Amino acid sequence: MKILVCIKQVPDMESKFRINGAGTWYDESDLAWRINEYDEYAVEQGVRLKEQVGEAEMVVLSIGPDRVKEVIKKALAMGGDRGVHVKDDAAFAKDSFEIASIVAEYAQKESFDVIFTGMQSQDRASAQVGVFLAEMLGLPSVTTIVDFSYADGTVTASRELEGGLKAVVKVATPALFTCQLGLNTPRYPTLPNIMKAKKKELLTVEVAELLKVDERLETSRVYFPERKGGGLVLEGDVGEVADRLIAILKEKTTVL
Amino acid sequence: MKTLLVGEYRKGQLRDSCYELLAFAEKLGAESTLFLVGSPTDLPRTGGKLYLADVAKYGEFNPEAHKQLLLDVVAREKPDAVVFSHSSYGWDLAPRVALALKAAQISEVVDVVDGSFVVPSCNSKLRREVKANTAVSVITVQVGAFNPGQPAGTPTVVALDTEAVGALEFVGYETAEKGGVDLTKAEIIVSAGRGIGKKDNVELIARLAEALGGEYAASRPVVDAEWVEHNRQVGSTGQSVSPKLYLACGISGAVQHLAGMKRSEYVVAINTDRDAPIGEVADVLVIADLLQFVPVLTEKIKAL
Amino acid sequence: MEFAREIYWNIGHDAPVLLPMYLLSLAAMAIAGWGFWLRIRVYRQGKPAVRTADPAGRLALLLKDALGQVKVLRVPGAGTAHALFFWGFALLFIGTLLIMAQADFTDPLFGLRFLKGNFYKAFSLVLDLAGAVSIVMLLGLLVRRFIVRPAGLETKRDDVVMHALLLLILATGFVIEGARMAVTELGTPLASWSPVGLVFAQTFAGLGEEGLKTLHVGTWWLHFALVLGFIGLIPFTKFRHIFTTPANYFLVDDGPKGRLSTLDLEDDTAESFGAAHVSDLSWKDIFDADACTQCKRCQDRCPAHNTDKPLSPMKIVNQIGELAFGSPGNSLIDTCQKEALWACTTCLACQDICPASIEHVSKIVDMRRHLVLMEGEFPGEEVTGAVDALEVNGNPLGMGYASRGDWAAGLPVVILAEDAEVDILYFVGCYASFDKRNQAVARSFVQLCAAAGVKVGILGKEEKCCGEPVRKLGNEYLYQSLAAGNIEQMQNYGVKKIVTTCPHCFNTLSRDYRDLGFAVEVEHYTVFLEGLVESGRLKLQTEPFSATYHDSCTLGRYNDIYGSPRALLEAAGCQLVEMDRHRAESFCCGAGGGRILAEEKLGSRISVKRVQMAAETAAPMLVSNCPFCLTMFEDGVKGAELDGRLIAKDLAELLAARIQP
Repeated sequence: MKILVCIKQVPDMESKFRINGAGTWYDESDLAWRINEYDEYAVEQGVRLKEQVGEAEMVVLSIGPDRVKEVIKKALAMGGDRGVHVKDDAAFAKDSFEIASIVAEYAQKESFDVIFTGMQSQDRASAQVGVFLAEMLGLPSVTTIVDFSYADGTVTASRELEGGLKAVVKVATPALFTCQLGLNTPRYPTLPNIMKAKKKELLTVEVAELLKVDERLETSRVYFPERKGGGLVLEGDVGEVADRLIAILKEKTTVL
Repeated sequence: MKTLLVGEYRKGQLRDSCYELLAFAEKLGAESTLFLVGSPTDLPRTGGKLYLADVAKYGEFNPEAHKQLLLDVVAREKPDAVVFSHSSYGWDLAPRVALALKAAQISEVVDVVDGSFVVPSCNSKLRREVKANTAVSVITVQVGAFNPGQPAGTPTVVALDTEAVGALEFVGYETAEKGGVDLTKAEIIVSAGRGIGKKDNVELIARLAEALGGEYAASRPVVDAEWVEHNRQVGSTGQSVSPKLYLACGISGAVQHLAGMKRSEYVVAINTDRDAPIGEVADVLVIADLLQFVPVLTEKIKAL
Repeated sequence: MEFAREIYWNIGHDAPVLLPMYLLSLAAMAIAGWGFWLRIRVYRQGKPAVRTADPAGRLALLLKDALGQVKVLRVPGAGTAHALFFWGFALLFIGTLLIMAQADFTDPLFGLRFLKGNFYKAFSLVLDLAGAVSIVMLLGLLVRRFIVRPAGLETKRDDVVMHALLLLILATGFVIEGARMAVTELGTPLASWSPVGLVFAQTFAGLGEEGLKTLHVGTWWLHFALVLGFIGLIPFTKFRHIFTTPANYFLVDDGPKGRLSTLDLEDDTAESFGAAHVSDLSWKDIFDADACTQCKRCQDRCPAHNTDKPLSPMKIVNQIGELAFGSPGNSLIDTCQKEALWACTTCLACQDICPASIEHVSKIVDMRRHLVLMEGEFPGEEVTGAVDALEVNGNPLGMGYASRGDWAAGLPVVILAEDAEVDILYFVGCYASFDKRNQAVARSFVQLCAAAGVKVGILGKEEKCCGEPVRKLGNEYLYQSLAAGNIEQMQNYGVKKIVTTCPHCFNTLSRDYRDLGFAVEVEHYTVFLEGLVESGRLKLQTEPFSATYHDSCTLGRYNDIYGSPRALLEAAGCQLVEMDRHRAESFCCGAGGGRILAEEKLGSRISVKRVQMAAETAAPMLVSNCPFCLTMFEDGVKGAELDGRLIAKDLAELLAARIQP
């Protein structure tokens, strides 16, 4: 069985963001980077499927500048067999359609039985790449999975809907799945695996070799949201603030 | 501008999202036509044209069949934009339609500004203005971003039919453990976020809720950490609430959480971060360490 | 008369006595030797360890601790009883050796007899008193063990055998002496030089010479048999500690206290890290089990054990021994239990008090290393989250690394990246950088330095966690990564002197980092400020106040820094009320061993217990010198509902409020 897991490196969301000079995205300096949280679940599920099937190979792919090799290595340390780094210093400027087509261009050369992606990225949050990729490869796709089980070529997955509801879906492989938070508990890589990962194959491909389409979306500007007027900010001595808040609640609401 | 709005039908009922889409179309100043895989017994309360496919035949969840039906309507109506709600139905179906139409997709729109669409990024800390450079675009609209008016009217129904095709087999629904708290009925909710630090501190939140005569709830990370039961989760994957007073304690205000409580009448946020996105929806933002503030507030409320 | 006695009177001293006596003695010693040989084979299951550098120094330490009973005496009561018993028994043993020396060597070979005159009088008196004291002490220990029954003291068959054997040996000794004196010394002036024997002699006086001689020779051979039995049993019972405990004094770790081994993570051939089986531990770790006499002093002081967590340091040591000698193939971690292993706060109270110099903590950390490095396991999800935050942002609090230096805005501090010409690098640490309560400590320290004219620099966003909490949890890999980053930065700037406000950072930078090639002078702020006050560079005004002071584990037991903080408190005008558990006996706040990152889910709260100890002093303030302690005490005060009655402060804050303008 061949498994592909697509991952993205994103900034840590606790970082203090600044807008870049061109005003088209965040400034990259002083940011801490990490694997996209949704993708961690994708990697873990890929490794679990690999362990279940036994005769399986898991490929981990990521697009971006050299720093994304760190997240590929982490995924290899969790259990991936080989990595593919699509080198692209301008990945941040590409839209989901371009990203998906780059991956599709790579993936169509190998026939993957199961593809895992995160359901969205923490920074862009478009939730498009996974399904685009599946459609481009002519594969069925199930999004937002919080449960996954595989038996004899068929996958049974649960989609997470609103209000605590789940939808159980069955599909035959080859298929693609986008992963929601809580799908599993991602493992912490063991030291022997971290060391082995350093020796696993990590192929670098120039993005120009794989990008054959034009963008469909244009970003005109990126900015900080304006604080909505009317939002009162209270701070100071805890007791005094509590008194003021109670006074406001008495005035503005009927709860007290 | 012509829009095609996609409604949702789930568990035998029409979902309210279509009204938000109508509000969105109105903001755009666009004409709108509706599309729904649903039932003639539960139609959206609005005038205009509605293309209806029978949910009994195609199922509530069948992306390929729904896509095909939609594409048929697009071919007939030739809209400039196909609009979905950014829901588990919408974000699943929209990309399939977008690719088939060679259309750009713009996800989770919160606002329209001079013909550009505004979407959130980085946990709602940033805003992006985007435009499609394709003829047709596919748009998903953030839940609760556009306020529906008072729905009224009856649509003109056009029946739809197509080959029912699908590689996905829908087995059925599963509910999360219910029972106990119905937050949708609560008038006062005090909600705990990651900022409470550890499970022990849930008690502080519960005590404040009790002092106010309300219920306590939590954001997703707190429920995932098993500090609070799932049926107290507020957010897009938990419960959607609209109490008279919502107190968000140590909640940063991730989009998914806001989606669940934005419709609260009055929102007070307690946070040490004055830039936290919760400030967007808060009527009052208290900058304080909740571990110090909450107990003091609880005592004062009890003393009233 | 001559003040001497006929050695071997009534026993005889030719071949029929000497031959069996020496042959049987040799046999008993051979059995003991063989018994130890069997045990040495088991120790060897463990990995190598070199503990022989500076043999002369080690020997001196052995003599001081063994003969001086220094460690045993740290706990009076049972400790004093044991020391007196030991000295008594040792004197009796020397006495026996002297008799053998004269009877079998100096007299037959050189005609030299020294057991006579004043020497013999002293000899008799000392030995009589030694014997009497030994019996009284032994009886006292017996009463403690069998009647008083202190909580946690387990009594096994071993203990019964040992008590019985020793009592019989001592008793028969006096019977022999009494019987002999009844025949040879009663009524002579020599008798009063053996006062205890005299009492026995007077009791036996009515038996008549024949009866006394029979009693004498019979008891003599019985005594001989008991002693041989004792010798032979040494390696097979807890008696073995007579050799293993002094051996442990010789085999101490000559490095810093609480030192952990620095794993070679570059080693490609290493397949396993940490300890999953006894064979993964060193031979010394297995030997420690043999040096243990189950005195439970470690358990009594363990903060985890004292708050109903399943950890007993003594039990862990014994379990290692049980596995090594019983079923070495079994899982060490399952035997010791994960919950017990994770509960340890590495406070070193166990190691510090252990009279057998056993090293408890490194064994626990070795097992944690296996759990983390080989299984990817942590004590809870909250710890996994903190570890993730450390990997992404270099601090466990999940704060963006770029804002690490923001606390210093507007303060007299420079960022090294902008200006590297500083007097000291202040290594701030994660809590003082990001935690609101502890930022007050950082600010105070900087103000104090400014008042003393010291130019302070910080690394700001280039500083990462020193790595200590994760190291103690067993994540040696992450620790070394963090350390390497910090070392590179500090070496880049050519830093000459570092001061920290956190004892964990202090201990790690000044000691652990040495193993990674970093050797710059590091001081904890209490020592640094004391220096400034003494030299007159920092002037404080005394403002009297009452407080109690908590000796943090890492500053106290690990680094023996007890005086400097107290000197500073005095300079500040403190009327210090000490808690019972202070200095080396201080009771951990609960945040050590990496547990600052974990939730306390079992038993009662260690911080609450310590805060209650502070409250008992009736002082209104609890002063500490560590960000973890301060955090735990703020929590503990609330948990113990002492809000308003006890306030937690760091020493730096008190001093900063007393800078002379």
